[in-house]
Amino acid sequence: MAESVLKTKGLNKTYFGKVNTPVLFDINIEIERGSFTALIGPSGSGKSTLLNCLGLLDPQTSGEIVFDGKSIISQNVNELADFRNANIGFIFQFHYLLPEFTAYENILIPCWIRNGKPSPEIEKEALRIMDRIGVLKLKDKLTSEISGGQQQRVSIARALINKPKLIFADEPTGNLDRDSGGTVLDLMAELNKENNITMVMVTHDREVALRADYIYELVDGKICKYLEVKKTGKAGAAKAIEERACDFK
Amino acid sequence: MKSSKNQYELMIALRFLLKGRGQTVLIVLGIAMGVAVQFFLASLIGGLQISLIDRTVGAAPHINILPADRIAKPISGGVKSDNRKVLYEERTEIYSWQQYVNDLKKDKRILYAAPAANGSGFIERGTSVVPVIVKGLTAPDGLDIYKIRKKITAGIPELSSDSALLGKGICDRLTLAVGDKFFLRNNKGEQVFLRVGGIFDLGSSAGNELVVISMDRVRSFFGIEGVSVIELQVKDVFSAEKISKEYGRQYERVKLESWQEKNRELLTALSSQSSSSDTIQFFVIISISLGIASVLGIAAVQKQRQLGILKAMGTTNRSASKIFIIQGFLLGSTGSVLGVAFGLFLAYGFIAGTGVNFGFEINARTLVTPVILAILAAVIASTIPAKRAAKLSPIEVIRNG
Repeated sequence: MAESVLKTKGLNKTYFGKVNTPVLFDINIEIERGSFTALIGPSGSGKSTLLNCLGLLDPQTSGEIVFDGKSIISQNVNELADFRNANIGFIFQFHYLLPEFTAYENILIPCWIRNGKPSPEIEKEALRIMDRIGVLKLKDKLTSEISGGQQQRVSIARALINKPKLIFADEPTGNLDRDSGGTVLDLMAELNKENNITMVMVTHDREVALRADYIYELVDGKICKYLEVKKTGKAGAAKAIEERACDFK
Repeated sequence: MKSSKNQYELMIALRFLLKGRGQTVLIVLGIAMGVAVQFFLASLIGGLQISLIDRTVGAAPHINILPADRIAKPISGGVKSDNRKVLYEERTEIYSWQQYVNDLKKDKRILYAAPAANGSGFIERGTSVVPVIVKGLTAPDGLDIYKIRKKITAGIPELSSDSALLGKGICDRLTLAVGDKFFLRNNKGEQVFLRVGGIFDLGSSAGNELVVISMDRVRSFFGIEGVSVIELQVKDVFSAEKISKEYGRQYERVKLESWQEKNRELLTALSSQSSSSDTIQFFVIISISLGIASVLGIAAVQKQRQLGILKAMGTTNRSASKIFIIQGFLLGSTGSVLGVAFGLFLAYGFIAGTGVNFGFEINARTLVTPVILAILAAVIASTIPAKRAAKLSPIEVIRNG
């Protein structure tokens, strides 16, 4: 693997409550700069939890996250918020756009948080991104007035606006019909190649995962498979996913 | 950079309020009603008090300097059968009044200082004989203490040797008009022939029974060597008691009496009225605060999803809190400004509807105080949802959808 932008060392996550629930066990993964990585696994395997830990939304219980060569040691929520704003873009299954704002304003929100009123250059860039992803005509529409596919595209534009080093996408097509989902995935793949933005996507859909450069499969909170699609080819990767079952016992 | 960052919090706060328009309108109206009641009460009671005080002392001396009842003065010779070493001479006049007046006129807090000579006599007109109080005043200060020059309804407010200014009440009873003549008799049976130079209406029955003539005329007619009283009006009516006490310590041979000392009951009534008004206003503020806290509390729950996503994108806890504090401020300021407008409308409506106008006290204080109080209450109340917003973890929202 070439230079990595994100690395975990022995990452563990346990939810503490009346009953403590360990979710992730000794996760060691590496995300290559500019790559498209898929995290797959059955429901409850811990893939979304891992994504949230990697996205610094949910603190790990133990282990280390190394971002761009630097270990993230701060647990201060405000420092982490600033870090997320500057370095990470998120695309969620339920788009999570703010219904009070128009599509264009939603895209600019991460800039507002970062700098306040955006500069004319940033506004221009927002319009360029909107044009690129085909939502420019929806600019002044409230997000509640546009379709699911369009909402997800707007949320992709929002993830891109601060030029993050990494974009995390949690089931970005999970809530879309097949056609809209396909378009969103195409768009993500194109943006990944065009802008050299590193993307990490959680999906339970193996077809979708096969569009990635690297695939990590999680089962029961552990990494069970790591596939380099470039090496194995799509067919090889698909076969590997199908054939090799994980048995940690 | 910081101020433009505030802009984004302001923008989000504004949108949150506009999106929940119905809720926002209701709470703004609630605040407005509360503030209107507060403003109405404060200006009504303030106005009522000022009007009462003005009626009581507006056209009267604020401080009277009176002769001391008894001043120790050894009498040489005198009554030999009296074995007391020191005798007391009754004194009912102030002899060195000019010194007092000159001294008092130097004090910038004092508006007017004028001597007056009082006597009681009878007016004879035809077959009617009416007892009257005769006040000997100086012009213009003496007249201005009673606002006679302003309150003259007929004739000229001048004090000449052969004319008198009469209260409206006495003129009505004796059917006297300007230019009419009458006899004024003193207690020794001496009488003087006077012309009605002017008629005044002081707005009170006691005031309108007065007969005002020049001080020197009263002194000679009633045989007063000094003056009966030195009357003062001060600039700040409520400082009269303090000024009176201050001079009371300096002037040992006279006694000073402020209007407050003579009107203790009125002052007690006014202060009870103020306390009951303050109590009502306090509870109005509490209910405004509770209303805002509950509406914004609900909003914080309703907007949990948006807050979570804003936090995921980098909004800090401080900014999340600020969004609610700004909402509180916006609700408080809009509601209170609207409330003052309602209050003014109510006040003028009250005046127009009842025809009663004892002078609403509408000034910067009655206008600004409820606005500031409501904004403060709103901001303080919004700290509750603000804390909730700060505590919210983005992962809770993302994990639970």
